[in-house]
Formats: sequence, structure tokens, C-alpha cells
Amino acid sequence: MKLPGRFLMTLLLYVLRRLAYMAPVLLGVTVLAFLISHAIPGDPAQLIAGPKASRETVENIRRTHGLDQPLPAQYWRFLHGLSQGDLGVSIRSHRPVLEDIRDYLPATLELTLASLLLCLGLGIPLGILAAVKRNTVVDHLTRVFSVIGVSTPVFWLGLMLLLVFYRHLGWLPGSGRLDVTMAAPLRITGMYTVDALLAGDWQALRNAASHLLLPAFCLSYVYLAIITRIVRSSMIAVLGQDYIVTARANGLSEARVVLKHAFKNSLIPTVTIVGLSFGELMGGAILTETIFSWPGMGKYVVDSVNYLDFPAIMGFTLMVSLAYVCVNLAVDVLYAAINPTIRY
Amino acid sequence: MKRLLRVALCLLLACYAGQSVWAGTETLVVGVSSDIHTLDPGVSSDNYDWRQIYPCYDRLVRYKVMDGKGSTEVEPSAAESWEVSPDGLIWTFRIREGITFADGTKLDAEAVRFSLQRTLDIGKGPADNIGAIDVMRVIDPMTLEITLKNPYGPFLQTLATNGASIINPKIMQHAKDNDLAQAWLAGNMDGSGPFRMVEWLRGQRFVLEANKDYWGGAPALDRVIIRFMPESADRRMALERGDIDIAENVLIDQIPALEQNPEISVERHASQLVEYVYINTQKDKLKDKQVRQALSYAVDYQGIIDFVLQGNGVQMRGPVPLGMWGHKPDVFQYTRDVDKAKALLKDAGAEGLELTLIYSERRPSWEQIATIMQANFAQIGVKLNLQLLANPTLRDQVDKGDFELCLGAWSPDFADPYMFMNFWFDSGLWGLPGNRSFYQNEQVDALIREAAAKADVAERTRLYHQAQDVIMEDAPYIFLYQVQTIVPLHKNVHGYVFNPMLESMYNFESITKN
Repeated sequence: MKLPGRFLMTLLLYVLRRLAYMAPVLLGVTVLAFLISHAIPGDPAQLIAGPKASRETVENIRRTHGLDQPLPAQYWRFLHGLSQGDLGVSIRSHRPVLEDIRDYLPATLELTLASLLLCLGLGIPLGILAAVKRNTVVDHLTRVFSVIGVSTPVFWLGLMLLLVFYRHLGWLPGSGRLDVTMAAPLRITGMYTVDALLAGDWQALRNAASHLLLPAFCLSYVYLAIITRIVRSSMIAVLGQDYIVTARANGLSEARVVLKHAFKNSLIPTVTIVGLSFGELMGGAILTETIFSWPGMGKYVVDSVNYLDFPAIMGFTLMVSLAYVCVNLAVDVLYAAINPTIRY
Repeated sequence: MKRLLRVALCLLLACYAGQSVWAGTETLVVGVSSDIHTLDPGVSSDNYDWRQIYPCYDRLVRYKVMDGKGSTEVEPSAAESWEVSPDGLIWTFRIREGITFADGTKLDAEAVRFSLQRTLDIGKGPADNIGAIDVMRVIDPMTLEITLKNPYGPFLQTLATNGASIINPKIMQHAKDNDLAQAWLAGNMDGSGPFRMVEWLRGQRFVLEANKDYWGGAPALDRVIIRFMPESADRRMALERGDIDIAENVLIDQIPALEQNPEISVERHASQLVEYVYINTQKDKLKDKQVRQALSYAVDYQGIIDFVLQGNGVQMRGPVPLGMWGHKPDVFQYTRDVDKAKALLKDAGAEGLELTLIYSERRPSWEQIATIMQANFAQIGVKLNLQLLANPTLRDQVDKGDFELCLGAWSPDFADPYMFMNFWFDSGLWGLPGNRSFYQNEQVDALIREAAAKADVAERTRLYHQAQDVIMEDAPYIFLYQVQTIVPLHKNVHGYVFNPMLESMYNFESITKN
């Protein structure tokens, strides 16, 4: 698509402006996350010290981790660290939070991206098909598929997938990211499929991809169903427009009418949903991660909350908010690219 | 579109993995429920961490295995022998010759002194277990003298705990900002044990490799892979498929199905893990021991064991569990007696009592137990409100004494009744440190403190038995049951020894697979 130079300039300014707004948004997020996590009654020092620790031991731990300081001082310490790119040391894992995130985030990202790919790769064609074949068997079948998707609890679906494809049929491997006997591919991005691809390690790629399939489908099913429905309804709306009738009257092939003229104009709601889904997939993969022993951020952060591991909670919240804000920005920019009448 | 479909199909076919992944007879794969946090013996208070740490280090003493069964008695390990002064204060250990760390450094008296001192200096959970140590002196390269602050009966047992692991003193080269190498040791190990760490992929697996030069003989297994699998059903399926050899913490309702499987054996062992209810003895009506006795009479112990545990447990008889010395087999035991409970409440003038039981989701059984107790109490005219709290909140309230009744679980860190009798009833340990019913009885305080300061087991047993009679009369806790640990494993795994002191830990060094 061709975009005029002036438009690109204003778009760039817009993006820069939005990026500048990001700072106060993220700062607000840290304040809220800090206050909320500290509002939970409980003492992380007691949790780290173990169930039978003496008072002196608990006091010692409280002091070591700076938990005995007043809240504003603790928050200031967090901000000071943050300004130097330091998210602090996790109370639970005794490692810098950044290192923890570096270990767990790629797994979540890989799962999220694979799910998103499935959502788009299956959801859009299904939605288009349902719209074009409206009120036929195909449409009804996709509706059933979608209703099941929206109403199936993830933990049940995950277990059923494992039971059928792993336990009984043996077509796909069980939980985890790789077979236990297989070495992880050389770390570049931390996403095993991508790293294996980059290294040209086909065996690892095959193994990692086969491990990814079930959890990615499990995680994506709800969003896949939603996207199918959204694409269908916006396609139906667009297919009824005058210019589609004109296009058909001009003798364009049906495929061209549907895919080029109608589809592009029905994309706006889909892009909105995809943007939102991405954020939710990032933060909401806990059930899928648990069932499939997927070592991602969801499980990490739930454990952190249970341990009141403040630095880890703050680090995760910041990371997810950053992802949300960036994806929202990307969605807004995409609007302008898709629909020339939207200008900033 | 067609091409796209073809590519997708190829990808799907490429993913087809077919057969399960059998690791071979030299590799043992254990599926466990939780990832670990740290590998530092001086920091960790968590059995799940110890599962990896323990086989990589030696300690002065170790738990005996008798007739293929784990025991709570200790025997020499890195210490060849020891002597103790008549007043029980000075212990002199002779260190075994010929033990080396991976880099060839010799394990000597200085290494032991360094390791114990390090744990004490770090001052985290494990330091409490060996807190009786006052000073240590290296007499000669292979002799260490430890002087205690006061005579302490369980001292030798505490040296078998994970916190007393012997670390290579050379780790200090990794120390930063006076952290005693804590940052380094959180993710690395340097011990002389039968296994060495190879890999820790966080949230995925932990791999141990046999130390072929181990002084006690090379382990039969070459490798142990510990797979972190949080979902119980997932562990069960992997065990059934043969992808893992041992499945830990499989939920009770899935056990009967595993027992039907001819390739799997399900072992049951009496553990030292107990579940009980703290009665806050400092709260209003609960100050009256008749009310506490009434509550103890109200509970349907056998019903809870049959229904919630599906028979996998035994009712506690006194505070010291069966299998631990100091257990008193004839101590008074409360059984369900509604009439007696009602009469006691009437005598105490506590009819129409309303109480609140707090609990968390830490153990899956608690919700059911709470509901059963609610029904049991209703029958004696006590209205029981249930309050589910987040674990940190619950612990905070218990520590402050801000509760009436609370469900709890306890397992000992070292094999000594001290872990129950002194922790639970010493009035100096009110709150989270152990005495969670805020119980105070001068006679009991005197008896248990005297028992802790003596070394003679017979004398200590007598004192603890005497205290137990008083305690059962006072009923500061509702003693529910002692849990059975259920370990499902493949029939080709041999030599697994359950030790009640090493819950969630394995004797990898003597396990074989065929």
C-alpha cells in the first residue's frame, strides 16, 4: 500500500507523542501495582523464612530485603533501580527479576505468538467462509465451533487434548517445551522454535513445534472463536455495501471481491480484537501454562503473588503493561494503514 | 489457499511425534509438582529445593536405612566418628578421609566449620535448625570441635538436615558484596555428594549426573532428570505413558486408577506430616479447656480420614506422630462423642457458641475438612463460620493471634520429638514460630525444656510422655491425622527408600532401573 510522505511524517509524530505518553501511564501502573500488592496483609519475610522460623530470623530477612523500611522509601528504591534498568532482586528466587523475566518471558511470548498465529490463520478464513456461505451448513458448523470455543473452560480443554492426543492416541508429545532427553537449542531469542529455526536444527524445531501445538491451540481456542465471529459479522456488513454490488456488476471474480475489496474493509474490528487478545494472552496464560507444564510468566507471577514477592510482581506488571501499551499503539497505527480515512 | 493448506498439513505431519520418549535404564525421570527456588543449603527452607540439593552434598551424619526402610536414626557419614563431653556441650567430630569436592579440594574439618558457620551467618531458616552451635574449632585438619550454647538433645539429628550440608569453601571466590556467595550458590552447587548438577532449565527440568568417584560407591544411575509438571493429571498421564518413572503428589482421587495399571506400583508410607487445628487458647471462651475438649470430641476423625483422605491416613494419637520416638501409644485420644461434647459445653456455660475457622488453599484437603467440621460442630450446637484466606494473610493472622480456629499442617525438619513438643507447646514460641495455639502451661514448659536439654533418650522420652498427658487434657489443638505419602512408580524402578524425614526427597544413589 502506498502512503503519502506527509502522512508518514504526521504518523511518526503521532507515534512519538504516544511513546511520550507511555511514561506517565507506566509510572501510574507501578504506583497502582505497588499499592495493591502491599495492601495484601502478610509478610513476605515470614514466607521466605519457612514455616518454623524464629522471630530473629524473620527480622533478619526483613532487614536484608529492605522490607522493614517505610512504603514510600521502598517505592523510591524501586523507582531508583528502575531508572537504572534494575528491577530488583526476587525475594523468592534470590535472582535479579530481570534474569527471571529473561528465563520465563520467551516461553510465554512463544506460546502467545503461536496462539495468535492460530487465531488468525484459522479464525479469519473460517469467518470469511461463514460470511460468504451465510446460513448454509458451513456457517452453522463454524457457529457451533465458535460457541464451543467460547464456552469451553480452558483447564478442561487442556486436559482433554492431552488425554486424547498424548495419552490415548500418542500422536503428540505430552507437556513441557521439549522432550526430556533433548537439549534446548542455542539461546538467541529464548523461543525454542525460533532458535531452532535460526540454528537450522530441524530435529529440535520438530520437537519444539510438536510440543507447542496443543498448548497453543488450547490457549487460542476462545480467541479463535471470537475472531471467527467478529470476522463473520463485519464481513456480512461489508458484503451488503453498494460498492461490493458494483464490483460484482463489473464482473470481478468472487474471490477477488471477497478477499480484496470486502475483507480489507472488514479488518478494523478484527485488528482491535487481536490487539486486545494479545495483551490478554500474555497475562492470562496461567491455566494453559499449568496444565501443559509450560514454564511461562503466568505461573511465575501467580507463585510470586502467593509469596508476596514484590519485586517480581512489579517487574511482571510493568512488562505486561508495556506490552499492552505497545500493542495498542501498533493497533492504532494499523488503523491508519488499513483505512485511509483515519488520520492522526 | 491450497498451497497454504498443504504447508499447514506438512507442518502438522512434521509435528507428529508418535512414540513416547523413553529415557533408558541409566536415566531416572521423576515428575514433580513444583519448580524450585534456590540451591543454597544455607538459604532454602523448602523440601522441594532439598530434593535437588541433598544428593549433591555430604553431611556429617545421615539417616540409617534399616531392612530397606528409611529410619529416623542417624549414622556416620562425612564424620567417621564422634565423641561428646559428659555435660553434652562439647562434640568432637573425626572427619572421614578421602572425600573430595569436584575440583579435588579435600573435605576436611575446615570445610565443615566453614559450611556450618556460613549457614549460621546467613541467618535464614536453616540457621534455626543448627542454632544450638556456639563456637567451632578446628583441632587438626580432620578433627572439628563444636561447642553448644547449652545441652541440646536433638543436636546430632540437626546435622542431617539440608542446612548442614558441607560446601566447598572455595565458593567464596564467587562472593560479592559480603553475600557469602549467596547469589552464586542460588543457581550452582559445589558439594561432594553422589550426584552433581548438570542443568537447571527453570520451570522445565533439573538434571543430575552421577559422581562416579563418590566415596560411598558410584550410583547405579547415570542421570536423574526431574521434570517440573504442576498439573497432577499431567504427571499421571506421563507415568502411564512411561515418560516418567516416579510421579510425585498425584491427587488421591487419581490413585485408584493408577493401581489398576499392571506396570505401576503404588507405594504407601506413613509420613511424619500431620494436619491439625490450632485453637487460639487466648480467645474468650476458648480459654476454657472444657470448651476445647468439647470441640475435640465433636470432630468425626474417622469420617475425615475415610472421606477426605480416602483412607490414606491415621488419626493422630497425641502430638508426636507414630514412627517418631517419643510417640506415646497409650496417650488419651479424643474420639467423636456428641453427648459428651454437649455436656462439656453446658458445664462451661458456652452453649450457642459461634466460632470462625480460617484456612487457606495451600492443601487441597482443607476445604473439605472445614465443611465436615462445620457440620460436626453444628451437631453440638456450635456455629462454625468458615473463612478462606490467601496464604500470606492467613500466616500473618496466625502470627498475630488474630484468629479463633485455624487449619494447619506440620512436618518435622529433623528426627526428634523436639520438632513437635517444643515447637508446639513452648510458651516462648507463640505464633508462627511454632506454638500456634498460644498455649501456656508452666508444667509443660518445664517438662519439655528439661527434655530438650538432656541427651539421654530414655529420660527424654519419659519427660515428653509426661507432658503429653497434660497436653491432651488441655486440648490446645485438635489433632486430626497423620498423612500417608503415596508414591506411584514404575515397576522397573527398584530400591526406592522412603524416609519420613526426607519428604519429597529421593535416595537416587541407591535406586536402580531395569
